[in-house]
Amino acid sequence: MSETSNPQLRARDDIVLKVEHLVVTFDVGRELVQAVSDVSFDIARGETLGLVGESGCGKSTVGRAIMQLPPPKGGKVIFKGQDITRLEGEALRKTRTALQMIFQDPISSLNPRRRVKDIIAEGLQIWERPNQRARVEEVMEAVGLDPETAADRRPHQFSGGQCQRICIARSLALDPDVLICDEPVSALDVSVQAQILNLLEDMKARYQLTMVFVAHNLAVVKHISDRVAVMYLGKLCEIGSVDAVYQHPSHPYTQALLASIPELETSQEDAIPLLQGDIPSPMNPPSGCRFRTRCPKAQAICAQQEPAMQASPSAIDDHFVSCHFPD
Amino acid sequence: MTDSQHQTQKLPLLRVEDLTVRLRGEAGIVHAVSDVSFQLQRGQTLGIVGESGSGKSVMARALMGLLPRRATQQLDGRVSLAVDGRVLELLKLSEREFRTLRGPRLAMVFQDPMTALNPVLTLGVQIAEPLQLHLGLNKAQAMARALELLAQVGIPDPEGRLRQYPHQLSGGMRQRVVIAIALACDPRVLLADEPTTALDVTVQRQVLDLLLALQRERQMGMVLITHDLGVVANRADHIAVMYAGRIVEYAPTSRLFSAMRHPYTEALFKSVPRLSDPSHTRLHAIPGRPPQLIDPAPGCAFAPRCPNVQQRCRRETPALTQAGDEHLHACFYPIGSREVGA
Amino acid sequence: MPIESGNRRRTPAEPLPVRRKTSYGSAGRASRALSFSVAVRQVFGSGFGTGFWLAAGWLLLVAACALFATVLPVRDPLDPVIVNRLNAPFTTNWLGADGLGRDMLSRLVHGARVSVVISLTAVSIGMLIGGSLGILAGYFRGRFERALMAVLDVILAFPWLVLLLALVAFIGQSLMAISLAIGLLWIPAYARVARANTLSVVQREYVLAARAMGASTLRILLREVLPNVILPVLAYGLVAMGLVVIVESALAFLGLSVEAPQPTWGGMIAEGKRHLAVAPHVALVPSITMFLTVLSLNYVGDRLRSRFEVKESNL
Ligand SMILES: Nc1ncnc2c1ncn2[C@@H]1O[C@H](COP(=O)(O)OP(=O)(O)OP(=O)(O)O)[C@@H](O)[C@H]1O
Ligand SMILES: Nc1ncnc2c1ncn2[C@@H]1O[C@H](COP(=O)(O)OP(=O)(O)O)[C@@H](O)[C@H]1O
Ligand code: SF4
Ligand code: SF4
Ligand SMILES: [Mg+2]
Ligand SMILES: [Mg+2]
Repeated sequence: MSETSNPQLRARDDIVLKVEHLVVTFDVGRELVQAVSDVSFDIARGETLGLVGESGCGKSTVGRAIMQLPPPKGGKVIFKGQDITRLEGEALRKTRTALQMIFQDPISSLNPRRRVKDIIAEGLQIWERPNQRARVEEVMEAVGLDPETAADRRPHQFSGGQCQRICIARSLALDPDVLICDEPVSALDVSVQAQILNLLEDMKARYQLTMVFVAHNLAVVKHISDRVAVMYLGKLCEIGSVDAVYQHPSHPYTQALLASIPELETSQEDAIPLLQGDIPSPMNPPSGCRFRTRCPKAQAICAQQEPAMQASPSAIDDHFVSCHFPD
Repeated sequence: MTDSQHQTQKLPLLRVEDLTVRLRGEAGIVHAVSDVSFQLQRGQTLGIVGESGSGKSVMARALMGLLPRRATQQLDGRVSLAVDGRVLELLKLSEREFRTLRGPRLAMVFQDPMTALNPVLTLGVQIAEPLQLHLGLNKAQAMARALELLAQVGIPDPEGRLRQYPHQLSGGMRQRVVIAIALACDPRVLLADEPTTALDVTVQRQVLDLLLALQRERQMGMVLITHDLGVVANRADHIAVMYAGRIVEYAPTSRLFSAMRHPYTEALFKSVPRLSDPSHTRLHAIPGRPPQLIDPAPGCAFAPRCPNVQQRCRRETPALTQAGDEHLHACFYPIGSREVGA
Repeated sequence: MPIESGNRRRTPAEPLPVRRKTSYGSAGRASRALSFSVAVRQVFGSGFGTGFWLAAGWLLLVAACALFATVLPVRDPLDPVIVNRLNAPFTTNWLGADGLGRDMLSRLVHGARVSVVISLTAVSIGMLIGGSLGILAGYFRGRFERALMAVLDVILAFPWLVLLLALVAFIGQSLMAISLAIGLLWIPAYARVARANTLSVVQREYVLAARAMGASTLRILLREVLPNVILPVLAYGLVAMGLVVIVESALAFLGLSVEAPQPTWGGMIAEGKRHLAVAPHVALVPSITMFLTVLSLNYVGDRLRSRFEVKESNL
């Protein structure tokens, strides 16, 4: 695959994490599936990047590839000026602690046989940090868990929302720079979702975090992000500030995603046609633009030529879209 | 319902009166559903909204006669289903009688499409089975009907899909198949228990639209259960908000959104993130979590989390009271009442 | 806990009937049985049920016999009292006498020792070697796993009795040798159980989270994987012990178990078959003992397994 140019990468000196031409493949039986094909973006210090797209488009895979779990097949992940895809063994284990991750299913991400305090202290024990107890109590309090009553219990005694709090506490214990949240609220009730989203915002301020926030719900992403990247079938469709992407969605896919959010206001019949059908299999993605099989605006050229990332017609700074006919 | 003869016209399709379910849990008796009453007319959709653990699924299972028998300590109340000009008292039916109803009269769509299908049977067999069983179709007829159903629920290339297994489909496709199975025998009442919670937004929208279209077309009564007010907002005719096993507010949808009275309804409403809010707006989370339903204390179950709470709420349990045409709520100090001083 | 799993379950093939007011008070056998089990539960304070405690009691008894066989007030298991030959139970001897006039009760008690030693040793060997191999295969996957599984498949495809005979011929017929032979035979089964459990544990995100913390492979294996795999494997061990008891008796039938005068249950049954027509008790008494033991092992194993099944959610 020829590498595309990446106008969306910004030339700023406070970029903490930069992902360039990221490619991740999986062996499925005899075939190779390209779950992520040539994705590039960057995140500045203190920024939250929302990563959205339908199930199976490769969002989680991007998150994990940043953590080198497993390392990507191609491309670079530059963290604080260092390409961590080249790191191995001890050096990688050490660097990884500065990047932490929270997963979608809070219950399956906690070892059922261990006590909450041991789960949270895990990283501290591995790296033999001093004052472990104090640190555990501090992060537990920060996420709204009572150290007295919760520390000695096991995960199955907690509800989904509380388990997610434990996960957040665990990821904060090592004082990371970057927190990657992989759909942290998708498995939760709306009311609990609001609690966790507020908590993440508080934690971000308190511990000066830079975040990648993966989700499929654009309303949720809007609440927490500064910049938004929209993915479809392993590729980036659109990236820009929250205002740019939500006020001037340029890619037909972004528009369709926006239209599908359940709205409370009893507004009727949307102008934008809904997405039909399913996301195609990444085993043999459509030629040209990958969205063309579901795109209401598709033309002949879309099947022949892959659209390149270009500045959006919205004329807002740092707003980019990859479509032959952007709005 | 002896006087039903004069009012067959007005007769509700499904009528639930004082449904109460108590289950034996590990830690004690769970008061999962308490005194739930509602009715459902033909061609109407009732949305049931509440947080996880509020008793929505137990209620749906009770209506389907699918409660775990050994864990059921008490099942009380009255559930009447009007079919073919007769009124059946569901809770009095034997299991054998009930079985003949599931499929042709009552059907259910479950939350998780991943586990609602049998992984070792082809989709065709799974859709055709109830048809052969209930409608007495032979295999070829059943398969032909299965094909029709798959096309109706919007699955492309239905012929090819009939021979496929569930793992070859995406989550949204599987939920469509589950819906096709539920609709196979043309049920009068469809219970959809969080049918889209396991799906992502685009697919959720498609599946909800599909359910609604099929419901209108077939004039079914539908109970749509969810934890997200946004899901039922534009779809249900009436909404019942459930908390701790009880209905705390009931109203026609537009009225509920324009004049909600119960503090819990409002709290749920406010916790939904909205596209119209600017980025980094703080969400209105409901503090705390729903109560365990074991040995419920007297008083309003929402009291520990309620912004309007007063002394009286902790002593007495508020009953459902009329707050306008078809609008009920169970609260001593509802939104907009004088005592709250809003 | 049950709700989530309840939500996810498909409609049971045979839905459970629910009648109005299924409370304790109403008459009928079903609800009486129910209140009885509730009462038992209240007495024993745990959810295991009477059957479990009966089975566990029997196993305890067998274990005690094995441990204290030499000091228990029973006759000499090797002393032939010819006049008592083939006497029925409750006559001269409590459980009767065998073809040489030896006391059956005493032989059972001493035989228990052989059964217990063989099953404990064999199962431990299988569990240690097979379990470790299985965990490693499930965690590292790849070539190691494929090679191991291929070897195990070959072993499993062999008729086990032939394999066992070959092993016994090779290692010998002492108690330890027989235990070792049966234990080796058991490795593939354990490796499979351990591998399957490991595979499902490794998919859990807590393993990924531990790696994100910088945990080393050894730490992940010991802290995250092992504790979640060991209990199902142990519970399987109890069931396997029952099978080992049966395998021993098969060997005894072929005259290949522990050498002759030493009493074993299998040996007793083998000997009893000669007298089946005149004195069925000689074969029956050890058979029933063995039956009860194997049944108890299976029952207790199954119960423990469902008890220890990982609780992953409460709501
Ligand atoms: N271990 C794996 N082996 C093979 N294919 C995989 C593996 N993990 C992911 N994939 C495939 O890669 C693609 C992207 O998966 P990924 O989990 O990143 O999607 P996602 O956007 O996070 O979706 P979701 O919203 O469901 O979490 C999918 O087609 C998936 O089937
Ligand atoms: N089989 C069962 N045994 C005991 N308690 C149960 C069982 N199923 C559900 N419950 C309890 O019933 C209550 C309501 O559960 P449920 O109807 O599943 O809630 P919802 O569907 O609103 O999330 C919960 O407190 C739950 O613990
Ligand atoms: S490039 Fe063509 S097919 Fe792709 S999104 Fe743009 S208009 Fe649609
Ligand atoms: S009764 Fe009292 S506690 Fe309950 S909802 Fe109304 S104001 Fe709140
Ligand atoms: Mg994902
Ligand atoms: Mg539910």
